[in-house]
Amino acid sequence: MYLKVQLPWNVIIPAENLDAKGLMLQRSIIVRLMENFATRKATKDLGYFLAVTTLESIGEGRVRQHTGDVLFPVVFSCITFKLFRGEILEGVVHKVLKHGVFLRCGPVENIYLSYLKMPDYRYVPGENPVFLSDKLSKIEKEVVIRFIVIGTKWLEVEREFQALVSLEGDYLGPISQSKLYKEAEKLNFDAAIRENKTSVALVGRDNHGRVVLT
Amino acid sequence: MSGEEEENAAELKIGDVALILEHKYEQLQQMSEDPLNQVSQVFEKSLQYVKRFSRYKNPDAVRQVREILSRYQLAEFELCVLGNLCPETVEEAIAMVPSIKTKGRAHDDEAIEKMLNDLSLIKKFE
Repeated sequence: MYLKVQLPWNVIIPAENLDAKGLMLQRSIIVRLMENFATRKATKDLGYFLAVTTLESIGEGRVRQHTGDVLFPVVFSCITFKLFRGEILEGVVHKVLKHGVFLRCGPVENIYLSYLKMPDYRYVPGENPVFLSDKLSKIEKEVVIRFIVIGTKWLEVEREFQALVSLEGDYLGPISQSKLYKEAEKLNFDAAIRENKTSVALVGRDNHGRVVLT
Repeated sequence: MSGEEEENAAELKIGDVALILEHKYEQLQQMSEDPLNQVSQVFEKSLQYVKRFSRYKNPDAVRQVREILSRYQLAEFELCVLGNLCPETVEEAIAMVPSIKTKGRAHDDEAIEKMLNDLSLIKKFE
């Protein structure tokens, strides 16, 4: 789930960047904060760090002995992404193996769906291996799957999460792309020029008025 | 799930996140030639994901969805899961968010169905 979190942080500005006027100082604090934020990548409690949204406050700077840097305590808001046990999410299959598939959801690449948690699905080997159900529903690369999270693990060294998910439950499993855009066959296509005027997109509306891009 | 949130954390729908990340990306585009170079992998993958899975394509629709869902006395995370997954039937909604049935507020099926209908209307006229 995506979260909006307010966080306190200490931003350290090296002495060389300090001889500027007030506004420039604030700018270097913001730049430094965003750099630190991107480097940190994720924490166990808050999940993956996506983007800083607002800077709430900058406190008084404190000079650090020995280095001459100045430390500014700041409070800011940001968006993070964290997987919760019991949560239902949608992800995309990116690897199919004999005993399960790996899914990608947002910034998380290592989401594992074991064959034990795919009731009614059987592995079908081949150049493009798939899992096939009795009702001929297919789980293969690039398919969107709705799953429930049964466990998560934080890897300190890589600073990332892994998750174990399952299809055991109602309304879980592959979601066909045509369900996201219902009755895709009956589209009216128009060519539209995207706002930045450097590319053309084919745009249509399906029967439910949803915009479909190809 | 509802007990695990941080005290100063609020849940966001995928649609809201899509608006924020796209805006950020545009800001970066204005600042440099090659914005993708500037952003972390986490940002890039998340931007791809929210753009693909955001069910309502324009900001007004996203806002309307939030308005509609907030009329029904839902917890923030329930609101988010329903907005993200867009269940079509009452059974699907209960399967996605069991707590709408089990908590003391006891939303009855009619109320849930009305809410889902309102949501699908937005999609139709988006």
